Amino acid sequence: MERRLRVVHYLNQFFAGVGGEARAGHGVSATPGPVGPGVLLQQLLGPGADVVLTVFCGDNYFAEHPEEALRELLRLIRDARPDVLVAGPAFNAGRYGLACALVCQRAQDQLRVPAVTALHPENPGFEVCRRVIPVVPAPAQATGLVETMRPLARLVLKLGRGEPLGPPEEDGYAPRGRRRNQLHARMGAERAVEMLLDKLAGRPVTSEVPIPDFGPIVPAPPLADLRGAKLAMVTTGGVVPRGNPDGIESRRATRWGKYSIAGLDTLDSEKWTCVHGGFDNQFVNDTPLRQLPLDVLRDLEREGVIGGVHEFFYSTVGAGAPVARARAFGREIAADLKKAGVQAVLLTST
Amino acid sequence: MHLELVSFPVTHVGAGPATCWREGRLEVDVDDLRRAVAHPGVEALEVHLVNPGDEVRLIHVLDAIEPRVKVAGGASAFPGFTGPPRTAGEGVTHRLAGAAVILCAEVTGSQDGLSVKEAIVDNTGPAAAYSPFSATHNVVLVFHFRPGLTLPEQLAATRIVGVRAAEYLAEPVRRLPGPTREVFDLDGRSADGSRPRVVYVSPLMHEGAVHNTYLYGVRVSTTPTLFHPNEMLDGAVVSADYHIAAYRSTTFHYQNNALIRELYRRHGKDLDLVGVIVCQCLVVSPLEKERSAFQVAKLARMLGADGAVLSMQNGGHGWADLMLLCQRLEQAGVKTVLVMAEMADADGTDVGLLLHVPEADAIVSVGNMDEEVTLPAVPRVIGGTQFLDMNNYEGEVGARPWEAFRTALRRLHCACNQLGHGRLVARAC
Repeated sequence: MERRLRVVHYLNQFFAGVGGEARAGHGVSATPGPVGPGVLLQQLLGPGADVVLTVFCGDNYFAEHPEEALRELLRLIRDARPDVLVAGPAFNAGRYGLACALVCQRAQDQLRVPAVTALHPENPGFEVCRRVIPVVPAPAQATGLVETMRPLARLVLKLGRGEPLGPPEEDGYAPRGRRRNQLHARMGAERAVEMLLDKLAGRPVTSEVPIPDFGPIVPAPPLADLRGAKLAMVTTGGVVPRGNPDGIESRRATRWGKYSIAGLDTLDSEKWTCVHGGFDNQFVNDTPLRQLPLDVLRDLEREGVIGGVHEFFYSTVGAGAPVARARAFGREIAADLKKAGVQAVLLTST
Repeated sequence: MHLELVSFPVTHVGAGPATCWREGRLEVDVDDLRRAVAHPGVEALEVHLVNPGDEVRLIHVLDAIEPRVKVAGGASAFPGFTGPPRTAGEGVTHRLAGAAVILCAEVTGSQDGLSVKEAIVDNTGPAAAYSPFSATHNVVLVFHFRPGLTLPEQLAATRIVGVRAAEYLAEPVRRLPGPTREVFDLDGRSADGSRPRVVYVSPLMHEGAVHNTYLYGVRVSTTPTLFHPNEMLDGAVVSADYHIAAYRSTTFHYQNNALIRELYRRHGKDLDLVGVIVCQCLVVSPLEKERSAFQVAKLARMLGADGAVLSMQNGGHGWADLMLLCQRLEQAGVKTVLVMAEMADADGTDVGLLLHVPEADAIVSVGNMDEEVTLPAVPRVIGGTQFLDMNNYEGEVGARPWEAFRTALRRLHCACNQLGHGRLVARAC
């Protein structure tokens, strides 16, 4: 017979039956077996798993002494040798939700115990942990306990047995913002034709690749007059000084560089090179001005069309850049440009 | 056009005194095969016979080809390569079903800024599921070139030897009665238009010497072309895609194009298949991109298409063309479904698409090619003794090829095939 899973359940003082707001300063405690909502959890888990221990803590105690509370809780959890940790449901209770999120995260990181909780999407704990552990979206109020506990119990069993989770909509947890490969029952070609027939018949279609949401990118207002503006060159085309002093990678670059062009009128192919791994570099290597038209900018500067050219250009490699990293590079470079009093940027790609 | 494809199932491949097919056993006279495909650019040709379950890792994989012979209605199984470019897709073709010729060669250096990328097939173990060629009975040819051959010359030699070997292996079944016969014919379209009319749009790659697709022996051009689906199934398309391994479509994939087969399966029942539009999936200038996309949409409208399935080759820049094609098709009133891979980073947290248009609201995922897998140690490696230079792509493969190592799927041959040939899908979790 399969071994029964050991489950530890975390609650706050209220759900553990200690008392309400008056007892919110209660320290960390533990009691064997299920308590409060844990009784329902145990019923739903059935004979495959036992809630061996309930650990609990007052909302204020946790909020005021989070590190101490976590240390004590983790010691109790570790000593119980659980297969899974469950916290909550904490619904939309803020202090309790945050405690659930942190206990789960810590248990998973430090004890390697898979953890799961249930929180209302507006609970501050939700965003804290939903990318690292499965979180069952719970209603704001405790009235929906059974509906919340059912998927929670299913997830406990799956996590405890080491089974891979199904997609969020099937297994009832909030998407963790990650994608994982799986083998589908049917070939891509069959799914494509089926999807097209659905689309043609006006039936609802769910794209297997979600439509990306990059959020709003608000362009800066246009400059009324370039004559007073200092202009900088920024490129994702990977032009760097020969020797690539910052070691900017040819793909999925982890850094950007800032290189002086003070006093230069042109970019000599003896001194500059292209390290971009996503296009045929020979044309830029022959004439780096194809990527960074410094000669033309100097003309415009002399003619008074622009106020000046910033003494540095900024360079990274755009090939394969994760969006989050590209965003961070953009922020960092923009901050540097602002500090230097740059008003306009010529952004070149490949 | 009426094509009969007669299948001779292969359940085992092994060496024998004469090349023949008998009740599922493909026997290969290795010396005779070498003689039949001899090429002045090839100094030595290793021949390995590999069955599913053999504990072996193939590296430096280039193309894979299904052995076929043209029996009636055409001159050769690969027109433009092994015969005149007479229109394929008519008459009778015999195939060794479940067999493949696999071409491997260590091709180094670069041409037009691109180098041949490492491509791995694990025949057993956890990575076997990613390749269709772990399930086929393979005649693996490993090329050793005459010194002094340029990179394009080396690759051209593998192509011609590959298609000749495919014809050579199927020649013994030319006069045999086939156990199973499939008929491909576009007859049976509804006269009253009661079924939706569907076109298959197949962008093909042409990007320098290491990344090409041949139509009747000539590289695909920027002017879209109308194909009969049978042409693609019958050897009109030969792959020359030696770029990122996971994305690749081999000649085998075109011969067995899963989308065409699936459209045929539902043809005359749920839909009417009206044709295939072949175009180039990475064109360089905005003018050419727009011209190509508008021409594809025009052809689709001339065919009266209500819907289109749009497949893909490669990724990166080419996805700009893919999205533009989708947009122009949708704007022409042709409802479109895309098949494409994702680049969502190793942990699956990145946005999988480089760019997106609102019209692309129905996409089939063939997996995240950035996801990593661990390949175990294997007792035997075919194809070479060290991995190819990875051109600074992340996660250098430093291990010797028979050792265990971790790699992104990008190095696994055809793992994220964008003709929808596999079952891999990336899902939110």
